[in-house]
Amino acid sequence: MKPPIRLNLVLGLLFIVVLFLVLNFTVLGDKVKNFFYLISSPLQQGFWKAGDATSDFLTGVFQAENLKKEADELYLKSRSLIARIAELKELENENLALREALQLGLQKEMELNLSRIISKDISGEIVLINKGGKDGMAEGYPVITPQKLLLGKITKVYDDFSEVMLITNRDSSFDARVLGKDIYGAVKGGGNSALYLDLVPKDKELSSGDIVVTAALGGDFPAGIVVGSVREVRKTDIEPFQAAEIIPSFDLKAADIIFVIVDF
Amino acid sequence: MFRKVILILFLFYILALIQGSFLVHFTIFGVLPNLVLIFVLLINIFTPLNDWFGVVSALIGGFFLDIFSAGFFGFFGFYTLVFLTLSLFFNFILKKYVEIPFIKSPRS
Repeated sequence: MKPPIRLNLVLGLLFIVVLFLVLNFTVLGDKVKNFFYLISSPLQQGFWKAGDATSDFLTGVFQAENLKKEADELYLKSRSLIARIAELKELENENLALREALQLGLQKEMELNLSRIISKDISGEIVLINKGGKDGMAEGYPVITPQKLLLGKITKVYDDFSEVMLITNRDSSFDARVLGKDIYGAVKGGGNSALYLDLVPKDKELSSGDIVVTAALGGDFPAGIVVGSVREVRKTDIEPFQAAEIIPSFDLKAADIIFVIVDF
Repeated sequence: MFRKVILILFLFYILALIQGSFLVHFTIFGVLPNLVLIFVLLINIFTPLNDWFGVVSALIGGFFLDIFSAGFFGFFGFYTLVFLTLSLFFNFILKKYVEIPFIKSPRS
């Protein structure tokens, strides 16, 4: 005799519940995910590159006018940066001379591990990179772009892949300071590429265009990595602190290759 | 049915990959359309009443989305359960009591 349809439904649902409990509370879930990532990574890399190229092409077609304006602005900015670089070179030489005179060693360089982004999560600001536990990755390692702009940190490690939580993720929070000013605060992700600098004392002078870099206070990230620039400052009488909206420095669409800081 | 399931397995696997690796470059006002969800809904709307194909496709679609995403608070199976609930709602409540134009009704 054939079992009634309701019994089939109940048994099916029970099987699904047990399956997901096993996948969630044992290492089997991670193994299954790692297996699928492993067999799919060549396709994912292909799709990522194709998406990147198509997006670049479409941006060129639909925003040609804006691009021209942006290029002009960048040209002017690059001119002013040349002078700044020369100034910094002088300071670097001075710094080296002083370190030698004071017999201090050179600052330890960060140890980096090159990786590639292969996909982005739809539920949050999380990306998957093609390096995992077998490559020495561990939870909490900071991730930066080749331009040394902060991208996020590793939150989950599989055998061959890792999940990186972007700084714009709602769960992301770390200490930061404003470059050239004695202003410290907490950078919090707002989701949907939004980023905020919060808990800044009201008496501090925050202004639009200020560069926000990581601070060594929390120990999450090495100090001095660029986070973004202040877009808009929000100060109200009700709030005990002032906050600011930050434009993140990294561009995920352009960040194909990234670096994981394994030692800092 | 078996051939259809194989087809849907392949389709949702490719859709989940496209969703995570290709479509992420084309957000519309910061919003990313969920291809797998759209296909699951379409299949569930257009399959006739008492056809299990809609439920099976919801399970497969949800499973692949769970695989290729970090999940809700890291919970493996979130999308599968959501899609399954939606599918059961469509098949056992909505289509049973609501007659939708152009869709096979309970009496057809």
